[in-house]
Amino acid sequence: MFLNPHLNYKHFISNSSKISENIKNRNVKDANIELVNSLYTTFCNLTTQINSKRNKRNETTKLIKQTKLEELREKLVEQARILKEEIQKAELELEKVEKEMIQEGLKIPNDTHHEVIVGREELAKVIKIVGVPLDSTQKGGNIIKDHMTIARELDLIDLESASNVTGTSWYYLRNAGALLELALIQYAIYKVISKGYIPIITPDVVKTEYSDGCGFQPRDGEISQNYFVITSPIGSVETGNNQEISFTLTGTAEIPLAGIYSNKIIPSSKLPIRMVGFGRAFRAEAGSRGQDTKGLYRVHQFSKVEMFCLTSPEESEEMLKEIVNIQEEIVKDLGLCFRILDMPTYELGASAYRKYDMEAWMPGRGKWGEISSASNCTDYQSRRLNIRYKPSLSSSNESTNDRVKQKQQSTEFVHTLNGTAIAVPRMIIAILENFQRDDGKISIPEVLRKWMGGMEFIE
Amino acid sequence: MFSSYRGFIIRQRFYLSLGVSPSIRGFTFHQGFHLSSFTGFSFRLSPFTKIVSSNKYNLKNYTTSSTNSTSSISNNSDNSISSEKHQTSNPSKFMFLNPHLNYKHFISNSSKISENIKNRNVKDANIELVNSLYTTFCNLTTQINSKRNKRNETTKLIKQTKLEELREKLVEQARILKEEIQKAELELEKVEKEMIQEGLKIPNDTHHEVIVGGEELAKVVKIVGVPLDSTQKGGNIIKDHMTIARELDLIDLESASNVTGTSWYYLRNAGALLELALIQYAIYKVISKGYIPIITPDVVKTEYSDGCGFQPRDGEVSQNYFVITSPIGSVGTGNNQEISFTLTGTAEIPLAGIYSNKVIPSSKLPIRMVGFGRAFRAEAGSRGQDTKGLYRVHQFSKVEMFCLTSPEESEEMLKEIVNIQEEIVKDLGLCFRILDMPTYELGASAYRKYDMEAWMPGRGKWGEISSASNCTDYQSRRLNIRYKPSLSSSNESTNDRVKQKQQSTEFVHTLNGTAIAVPRMIIAILENFQRDDGKISIPEVLRKWMGGMEFIE
Repeated sequence: MFLNPHLNYKHFISNSSKISENIKNRNVKDANIELVNSLYTTFCNLTTQINSKRNKRNETTKLIKQTKLEELREKLVEQARILKEEIQKAELELEKVEKEMIQEGLKIPNDTHHEVIVGREELAKVIKIVGVPLDSTQKGGNIIKDHMTIARELDLIDLESASNVTGTSWYYLRNAGALLELALIQYAIYKVISKGYIPIITPDVVKTEYSDGCGFQPRDGEISQNYFVITSPIGSVETGNNQEISFTLTGTAEIPLAGIYSNKIIPSSKLPIRMVGFGRAFRAEAGSRGQDTKGLYRVHQFSKVEMFCLTSPEESEEMLKEIVNIQEEIVKDLGLCFRILDMPTYELGASAYRKYDMEAWMPGRGKWGEISSASNCTDYQSRRLNIRYKPSLSSSNESTNDRVKQKQQSTEFVHTLNGTAIAVPRMIIAILENFQRDDGKISIPEVLRKWMGGMEFIE
Repeated sequence: MFSSYRGFIIRQRFYLSLGVSPSIRGFTFHQGFHLSSFTGFSFRLSPFTKIVSSNKYNLKNYTTSSTNSTSSISNNSDNSISSEKHQTSNPSKFMFLNPHLNYKHFISNSSKISENIKNRNVKDANIELVNSLYTTFCNLTTQINSKRNKRNETTKLIKQTKLEELREKLVEQARILKEEIQKAELELEKVEKEMIQEGLKIPNDTHHEVIVGGEELAKVVKIVGVPLDSTQKGGNIIKDHMTIARELDLIDLESASNVTGTSWYYLRNAGALLELALIQYAIYKVISKGYIPIITPDVVKTEYSDGCGFQPRDGEVSQNYFVITSPIGSVGTGNNQEISFTLTGTAEIPLAGIYSNKVIPSSKLPIRMVGFGRAFRAEAGSRGQDTKGLYRVHQFSKVEMFCLTSPEESEEMLKEIVNIQEEIVKDLGLCFRILDMPTYELGASAYRKYDMEAWMPGRGKWGEISSASNCTDYQSRRLNIRYKPSLSSSNESTNDRVKQKQQSTEFVHTLNGTAIAVPRMIIAILENFQRDDGKISIPEVLRKWMGGMEFIE
């Protein structure tokens, strides 16, 4: 109801086979580029027809006014009436076609960077490893405990109470666990604002459209990862009757951040825009039962600090690198061992043109665990949320044609990018497991101590 | 008698698992924006709560009532309790909690309670009805027990009798008794259900020092500092928080009204950093007083919210937002999801939930917790009332103190909580006052309540920034939070020793108090510490939590 996607149909038409291949490469089942293009062609034809009929009708109306001959006049009036009917009929048809065209068009995933490997998660390319993975040999043979064992011993996490009060995979953070969350959030935010990002605390409830517009819509046959918010209890008379707008608990601060610039035109002098948002992430994790649901690894609510940027198309590739660099710094300064992966096509999701994941070594789990990710969504989100910019006036070519174009000041769609600064639970796992000591204490990373009142150990 | 009553309830529960129809809840709407809890609620007996009778509590550990169910908000296909037998369309079903109201207290103090209900301006509570239902309940129980005894005796006789004719008579007697028992049990079930439903509407008792009446009668207990006005600023205009926020780009209401709706907001720049600093400041201040910090989930089963007193009264609209896992209008809505979930109105609720259905050794009391979470409030019916800016919003961050004490300690604990609140606000350099709230403002759960208001010069009036309530056993009876009084006793008579061996449990008292409600505090800080050059002085105590920042500019 509030958003009006502007898909790039011309691009679809001109690159049909490439896009078709892209859809296959990304393993997307429900997208059909041929259908979209055929609908678009029909749309264009109908539009042309309607326009020509309208012109004809206008001319006829003019003639009617001019004609004095009664007989001729009657004929013209009849013509005009017939044209009016035809136009109305065609408009209804157009509305139908347009609706289906948009619906099918939205399923087309973003294009893919040419360097991205085609295939599944296992084909992710390790670009960089920082640090050395901790294992038991380094600990002189001492047992490396997993985060839940540590948490139980130090009373840091309570899953049991939360499973009564809410359900499984919800949790309370206690004692130093709670203080650690707050410290991580502060640390990440201040680190990122030192790079010129504007800190923003975002609402945790958004209109579902905005979530969909960012690419968080489930595919055909899949269950939504969203939690929805209603104002009447389920089963009451009002549910579904009074409430026509659908609301969602945000899956990430990216969504309300993107929403700020929805339906706006940004002067290009203001680009790039860099924001670091803080909010909760709520994930239903439907279908994830049994997969790593132990402890904090996969939970339904967590705190997350997220970077979100708007750039001109030319600047997005560079911005992605900048985001990844900041992520590196955040994790490196905590003293963790991590690696960066260039993700293959199956892992890109609908919106990402290119995506890098970061995984920290989690010795208690005995494997790498994803702690952040960074995506360049090019114009996928901006076309759906209608975020545009006005390219600058100055241009090297001063011909008359260009000056006319500049006067019109047509707008372009920005590119959007996002990257996790801190996802708290995964970071807690990494810290507890990596910095555990033989005496049972946990060393708090140096950079966090000022945010924890100077605390050095968790004990 | 109380413990035998409880034992009876437990036996009854198994009969009640069949075809229990939903309870009707009373609804109340509490006007105005209060940080405290309000209203009563109702429950339905749950077949799933393994509350055991007083004789069986484990001495050493906390006794947990596990819920048996695997239902959770975590998975679409797993939303229903596996052994759920009743399908109801009732919105907020109580499946996990089992209220233990103090009917004896109701009976013995009927007129006092009746007066209390009037004093608190509660419309839908009827103590006479509750007491009459309780009397009926007791009578039925007695009848059923006596018929059962009779039936047992009859069964014994049947075994002993060899005479065929006598035997047949006895068998017939037994059969008739069985029918009568079943009939009476159904009747009992009905009566019990209504008794609980009506009983839950009875508000908490009131401290004798509390003034009877409306908000205007609140008693100012203390004022700290001097309210700032334009004369002190040398005639310079005092800006309200929204003007300041606009000039310094601290708050964005407009984008939020597009993305979500009115009275939602983004905090930007120093506004965002201020929120984080306030939270850290409050938490570290409170943990220095011995409170355990806990970050709480923002979604809870609605029962727990109701159990804390957050249920609307008859005819009023709920202040809750509810959470579902399928979009509205889809096939899944209401069908798959039988448990109602809520976005918490305060961290008090999940904190209280930690100890629900637990028995705490008295050596562990008092328990002091400081929770941090979001508060979501629909604020239905508040349209137009102070909805400008940050004063009344739908989501905000809140740090909340929550304590469990023995009954004797709660009055002292309330004072401790208020003292901590004073220190929090005073150290920020704000001018504030403490009010002893009158009966109309207590809500259903509070026995006594103090509100704290900060002077907000931009608004030109006092604005509530925190509140502290002693809920005595109102919440603990609904959430079933008990403690075991200690073994040591001065009286060593044989009777007492026997009693101690039984180790009956008591209900704890619960208390809550706001440590920081971020938006109101932001208003107070922006309006009080504005300077003529347009900057805002950041309170000294917050600077270390803002990377040393001294001014917002």
